[in-house]
Amino acid sequence: MKSAPHQRLVMVGDRDALKELLRLRLVECGWRDQVKIICKDLIKENGQDIAYDTLLSTVTSRARSLVPDSVKKELLQKIKNHLMAQEESLKS
Amino acid sequence: MSDHGCIHLNNFKAAKGIQPYKVIHSYFVTSTSTEARVRKAVSCLCHTCKTYKDRLHSCLHCIFFGCYSKGHIQEHAKTKKHFLAVDLCYGNILCFQCGDYVYDRELTAVAKSQWSQSARSLSLGEFYRAWEPTQVEADLLRKNPRRRRIVENSTIGLRGLINLGSTCFMNCIVQALIHTPLLRDYFLADRHHCPQPSRCLVCEVSHLFQEFYSGNKAPLTLHKLLHLIWTHARHLAGYEQQDAHEFFIATLDVLHRHCEAAPILVKDNPHHCNCIIDQIFTGGLQSDVVCQACNGVSTTIDPFWDISLDLGPTAGASGPDSSGPPTSLLDCLERFTRAEHLGSSAKIKCSNCQTYQESTKQLTMKQLPIVASFHLKRFEHSSIQDKKISTFIAFPEQLDMTPFMSHKRNGNNNTTIDSFPKNGEDTAFGDNRYSLFAVINHEGSLETGHYTAFIRQQRDQWFKCDDHLITRAKLKDVLTSEGYLLFYHKQILEYGKNSKV
Repeated sequence: MKSAPHQRLVMVGDRDALKELLRLRLVECGWRDQVKIICKDLIKENGQDIAYDTLLSTVTSRARSLVPDSVKKELLQKIKNHLMAQEESLKS
Repeated sequence: MSDHGCIHLNNFKAAKGIQPYKVIHSYFVTSTSTEARVRKAVSCLCHTCKTYKDRLHSCLHCIFFGCYSKGHIQEHAKTKKHFLAVDLCYGNILCFQCGDYVYDRELTAVAKSQWSQSARSLSLGEFYRAWEPTQVEADLLRKNPRRRRIVENSTIGLRGLINLGSTCFMNCIVQALIHTPLLRDYFLADRHHCPQPSRCLVCEVSHLFQEFYSGNKAPLTLHKLLHLIWTHARHLAGYEQQDAHEFFIATLDVLHRHCEAAPILVKDNPHHCNCIIDQIFTGGLQSDVVCQACNGVSTTIDPFWDISLDLGPTAGASGPDSSGPPTSLLDCLERFTRAEHLGSSAKIKCSNCQTYQESTKQLTMKQLPIVASFHLKRFEHSSIQDKKISTFIAFPEQLDMTPFMSHKRNGNNNTTIDSFPKNGEDTAFGDNRYSLFAVINHEGSLETGHYTAFIRQQRDQWFKCDDHLITRAKLKDVLTSEGYLLFYHKQILEYGKNSKV
């Protein structure tokens, strides 16, 4: 995303609302619990001093692939709607 | 990742306090006001490469934003010797001397309260937060290290109930209540604290939950529960078979009254009870009476615990709306929420034009309960004869109540259909989907009948409860059964919704 549309999403609070919606959906579908278990197992394996960056680099790709398509689709659609609404309001 | 802060952060806090973190957090992490959001939008860019993403961090010592992915915040830390930074996405603190993020209780508390403030400023109610044990709860968990993992074929929570002589009406309602997810969570979390436990039905139900989940498989005898109901709902006392629906409502009523011994009242409305029964089972039914002369609308909203649905053909139906008897739950609900002509014999004084006029009346759902209970009126009592209507009524496993909501169903509401929500008021947050979790059936005739219950013990795991006998059932068996009382549970619980209304 270019930075101007992103800035407008932040400004009107839409970004926060979308982020919250995403968070809710990920909790609802069990994604959060899945990722939590992956992290827990990794910490058990590597000891509790494992660095955040190590954890992140191991978990990210797996976590990403676990996000259900329906959630991605819904969010994409919503972001698109918001951007189109932005464009409309800029024209008028 | 350290869970108790670090010496570097502590030194920083001792010198400068928590104010720098507070300011950065309230403007650039959570944005607690409109002004903050504007500032965040305009200035949250990496000072080196101008990106707004790539794990942007803010220096805690001076005004500098830098991204982590391309190493610009690291660069800043090294050259300026500013070793503490705040992650702008989550608000966590990165200590470059420790080489990792660090937790700090004081700053976490600041972050928490600012998230709430931000949610309020966007009128989003409250942001979701995962459950965290309190000190007391954490101690309890440590003292009781045995855990039970629920697997797919686990039979946890299942227990038969002895028939005490025509008490199947009570047994099936108890099974439905015990398997109401939110009620189970409430009681297993030990939330009922009682001033007079010996006479309290809520305490007895609390005790029953312990029995059901104890692991003991022997059938239970509900003599104490029955006695408490007899004492507190006199019209049900006696040895004959009772109506399961009547028993259900009476039980909710007694539970609700006993909860009031330790009342939780809603601030703005002292008459509105917020006990666990009301939180789970109470909805709001909107009734709109429209005067046919002046089109004036008078609206009232009444609380309800269940919806009783007619199964016969529409009474006195005439005109284009007339139709045969309903064949599904959706049919019934559609009819229930349809505008109905009150006729010339039932003129009502219109509050608008002050004259007696014919009018239409429409019922719609203003506020949905967490558990939606439907009562199919299979027993017809009239002066000529009492009879049972055994027609098949289809009901779904998943039910969306949106079409029966006041704002959808009636034209008298002035809410505009707006495809683009304003300032975070997202329609996507209103989710009205329900799933079936219990069905009570009446088998046999009006004179000699027997009640049984289908209950969902966990996702996709159904069981038939026939007094002391519990047998595994298929979803198909449930959905093709006759159905007398249907219990649906809301799929998604809005977080902090109660504090908003």
